[in-house]
Amino acid sequence: MNRKKIILLVGASVAIILACLFLGGGAISPFTTDPLSKEILFTLRLPRLLTALIVGASLGASGAILQGILRNPLSDPYILGISSGAALSAAMGLVLGITAAGYFSLPLLAFVGAISSCVIVGVLGKKSETFTPERLLLAGIGLGFLFTAILMLLMSLSSDYGVRRTLLWIFGDLSYSGWALMPYGFILSAIGLGVAILRSNALNALALGDEFAHSLGFSPSKERFVFFVAASLMTAVSVTMGGIIGFVGLLIPHAVRFFTGSGARLLLPLSALAGATFLALADAVGKTVISPTEIPSGIITSIIGAPYFIYLIRRHGR
Amino acid sequence: MQGPMETIGIKNISFSYDNKTEFFKGLSFTLKKGELVALIGPNGSGKSTFLKLSSGILSPREGEIRVSGSLISKYSPKRRAALVSYLPQIIDLNVPFTVRELASMGLYHGKNSGLSIEEALSITGLSDKALRKVFELSGGERQRAFLAMMLVQGAETLLLDEPLTNLDIKYQLELVNLVKKIVAMKNSSAIVAIHDINLVRRFEKVCVMKDGKIKKIGPPREVLTDDLIKEVFEVSSLDLYGQG
Repeated sequence: MNRKKIILLVGASVAIILACLFLGGGAISPFTTDPLSKEILFTLRLPRLLTALIVGASLGASGAILQGILRNPLSDPYILGISSGAALSAAMGLVLGITAAGYFSLPLLAFVGAISSCVIVGVLGKKSETFTPERLLLAGIGLGFLFTAILMLLMSLSSDYGVRRTLLWIFGDLSYSGWALMPYGFILSAIGLGVAILRSNALNALALGDEFAHSLGFSPSKERFVFFVAASLMTAVSVTMGGIIGFVGLLIPHAVRFFTGSGARLLLPLSALAGATFLALADAVGKTVISPTEIPSGIITSIIGAPYFIYLIRRHGR
Repeated sequence: MQGPMETIGIKNISFSYDNKTEFFKGLSFTLKKGELVALIGPNGSGKSTFLKLSSGILSPREGEIRVSGSLISKYSPKRRAALVSYLPQIIDLNVPFTVRELASMGLYHGKNSGLSIEEALSITGLSDKALRKVFELSGGERQRAFLAMMLVQGAETLLLDEPLTNLDIKYQLELVNLVKKIVAMKNSSAIVAIHDINLVRRFEKVCVMKDGKIKKIGPPREVLTDDLIKEVFEVSSLDLYGQG
């Protein structure tokens, strides 16, 4: 039964991803010989699709991890203030005119901001060598509010077009995707996901409480730290490559659980797959519905995600 | 030193939550192989702290805690999990695991020393509920699901922190009988913290705690005297059992 569901999920995902590549924003045959169509496929659609897949996979998997280690079903990858840190860092860099790394300046600033936020949340969330879910959550939420406030202040004081443009980018837009960031994003996300899958037993145990995890043979604090780093890495990659895209990290793990159960060994890779597919689909829809005007993917994920989330809650009562 | 029949040996331990006031001072206790002990005492007497120290979740400030012959602090987490299994009083069920998923967690320490998942579900009467979500089960079934997990884990010492709370009397008796069966079947040993003084008589040994001290240990009939009940629980036998 479970195997059938998994095959169905994987098959549907592959079909949707291929449809997004060849149909999204106007149909192009996979066997096209037209140079212009090939150009569109390889320089525009493919990098954008792959970016959507990496960002969506990172969000889906890191959402599943954070819901487990923070023991809070409403956790998503942005709850720890990582996205606000990335946005603030990118905006500050632009105000201060840091463009030394050329094309990479903005993503690099965002990544540094995201990772710095993780470090601060980690330091604030630690108490006598232990990481408790409550402290991590409070530290993340508090820091997120602080960063957002500073960002708003920066925006209200600055008339710089660049800052406004950064904000548009950071709030969920895949239209600037290119090949340049792809290898870095892929490798970092794959490391985060790989580490998490290898330790999936610990994630199951942590979800039932630290004392329970201890009894099953884990060091809860150490395991939570490893997962925190893995989820932070994936979140940092997703914010850097695609900005802040709502609902994927919150919704996808819940939706996947109804297919596969809650065991992390399946939940993590399938949340990554479903997140990737969902974002690719949202981006294709955003490109198509009122073409040539594009709707940012973050808006589409929220429009699809919110009603589906309410449906899931009503149907399953949890 | 610990004898060969001892599974838990606690010697002269001191423990403090805040590094100021001693909660336990000079506490000693021995659990022998095959023993089933009821741990009883009023709220705040130290039952949960005692079980958390015995399972290695908390560490004593002074003294030593040995499990199966060696200091508990010397074991790796996985090795420790193969020797001692602790069921906390409060378990978060936010993530909707199935009964089977929960039972399979007993294999996480990798030693494969317990029962198979099927055997454990059969003994706990949950074979037909293997695919149900744990949070959907009744209180009694839920506790049996956790016992199934402990059976799969296969530790020789079981520590259960108030597993009977919020259960109807029928399920309380059912669970006590199941724990007795498991202890007898595996020749393991168990400490079960409970609140209901009436149920204590179903155990072969009782350990009474108050204010971080062990007041008395022994067979329930000998230990639970009117004077002790009055001293520990501040109620008389008359209050407890009524007249006649």
